[in-house]
Amino acid sequence: MAYKKPLPQPNADTRPFWDGCKQHQLRFQKCRDCQYIRWPPSIICPLCYSQDTEWIVASGKGKIYTFTVYHQAFHKSFENDLPYVTAIVELEEGPRLLSNIVGCSPEEVRCDMPVEVIWEDINEEFTLPKFKVITKPNGDS
Amino acid sequence: MSLKDKYAIVGIGYTHQGRVPARTALSFYVEACANAIKDAGLGREDIDGLICYRHFQPAPGEREVTPYITAQRLGLAPKYLSQEANCARSHLHHALGVLEAGLCNYVVIAYADNALSSQRMFDEIDPNKAVFGQFGYPAEYAMAAQRAMHTFRTGPETWKEIAVGQRKWANLNPSAYFCDRPLTYEDYYRSRWVVEPFRTVDVCLINDGGRAYVVTSVERARDLRHRPVVIMGIGQHNPSSYIDQSTCMAGPSGAKVAGETAFSMAEITLGDIDACEIYDCFTYTVEITLQDYGFFEPGEGQDWFKDGAIGPGGSLPVNTSGGQLSEAYFMGLTPLTEAAMQLMGRCGDRQLGPKTNTKEPEIVLCSDNGATLQTHCCTILRRF
Repeated sequence: MAYKKPLPQPNADTRPFWDGCKQHQLRFQKCRDCQYIRWPPSIICPLCYSQDTEWIVASGKGKIYTFTVYHQAFHKSFENDLPYVTAIVELEEGPRLLSNIVGCSPEEVRCDMPVEVIWEDINEEFTLPKFKVITKPNGDS
Repeated sequence: MSLKDKYAIVGIGYTHQGRVPARTALSFYVEACANAIKDAGLGREDIDGLICYRHFQPAPGEREVTPYITAQRLGLAPKYLSQEANCARSHLHHALGVLEAGLCNYVVIAYADNALSSQRMFDEIDPNKAVFGQFGYPAEYAMAAQRAMHTFRTGPETWKEIAVGQRKWANLNPSAYFCDRPLTYEDYYRSRWVVEPFRTVDVCLINDGGRAYVVTSVERARDLRHRPVVIMGIGQHNPSSYIDQSTCMAGPSGAKVAGETAFSMAEITLGDIDACEIYDCFTYTVEITLQDYGFFEPGEGQDWFKDGAIGPGGSLPVNTSGGQLSEAYFMGLTPLTEAAMQLMGRCGDRQLGPKTNTKEPEIVLCSDNGATLQTHCCTILRRF
């Protein structure tokens, strides 16, 4: 079935990020001068103004900084997902990324829960990074 | 040199507001500006500055409203025109700048929209957020509020006091959208989720209408129709960070530095404030703003707001028109114009003073806030 939800619209700044997602890699820019890892992508480091930049691959692990639960759809394509969770995930490397928490009930979601990336291949061109709660071996989350 | 006590608000322009079908956004701009100019006792030949909001995407069949078009329909030929998206937060700064520089004598500031009747999306959709099902400001403020709930003691128990307190003021204001609709705590909890943790009653109105006001020097203000409302202090702060990277969701927001700047200019303290008109896009915005100004410590809002503290008869009236939650949404002009009307003593049944069992106001604190707690302006006004 064709994917009906809105698609990413990469631009010159964000294209390498989305290309990374396609390869199941979370890529972020790192300043070669001050080592700051930044998001969203930019031509210049916001801390030291260096343009000397490399792209690093993040671990995909982080924690939920904050989240919200949608009980109504503002776009028809999300109706079947209700209720669903959008969240800002703080990655181990520092950047915070808007995404979804999937694989658990919205009532279980809390700030600061540990999460890791899972990949959703939505069509030929794009893969979305989403996150699931890391369950510890003893069964607690 | 300080701007303290040098400039004043001298006229307010209202329009029909609420649900007003078959009207263009431009028509509300023109009507609000004309009414503000007449209210001040001025004529169109006096107005040499005009500042309008950079309008959201226009309704189908309408052009974007620019201050050029607005000036044309008002028969104005200003020496200074400006339009930008940073709204009333920056607009008053701009107005004070051109007045102080001697470039203008009388500046009109306006905001208007037909967002309700035109039924367009209030905000533009960001495609890279829509990918994850994230739509609009309610969700972003809901995220900020959720983080605040994790950080200190807050949540619906606090926000219901704000929604209910402001509604009581709206019930005294015949122009308010919810004038005839009381709100109880039970109604608050029955209200449906917009995006959890926000219910419909936590979210500001979308309405039709316009609002404008005129600013001039205190010298010129003396000769005009109304008792001027003097600008004692003003401060702005823009933490700027995009919501994802924001570090101020649970405060301190821009309100802290903006407030300190305004209080420093005004040379007063919190105890001198008789009432507050706080930009209330969401209930939580009112809490975090007052908290960052220092009215209470983080998490103490729940106790501070209870027992009707902000409503009629309360110890510190807040959003006495009903605010953007219950009166009408005109960006930062809803709080600022209500403060001016209260200080002019023109508020009818909701007038602060004996009529509402509150202190007659000498000094009123106003706020404006934008994006997701990313930009803030604090303005302190006093009676002449």
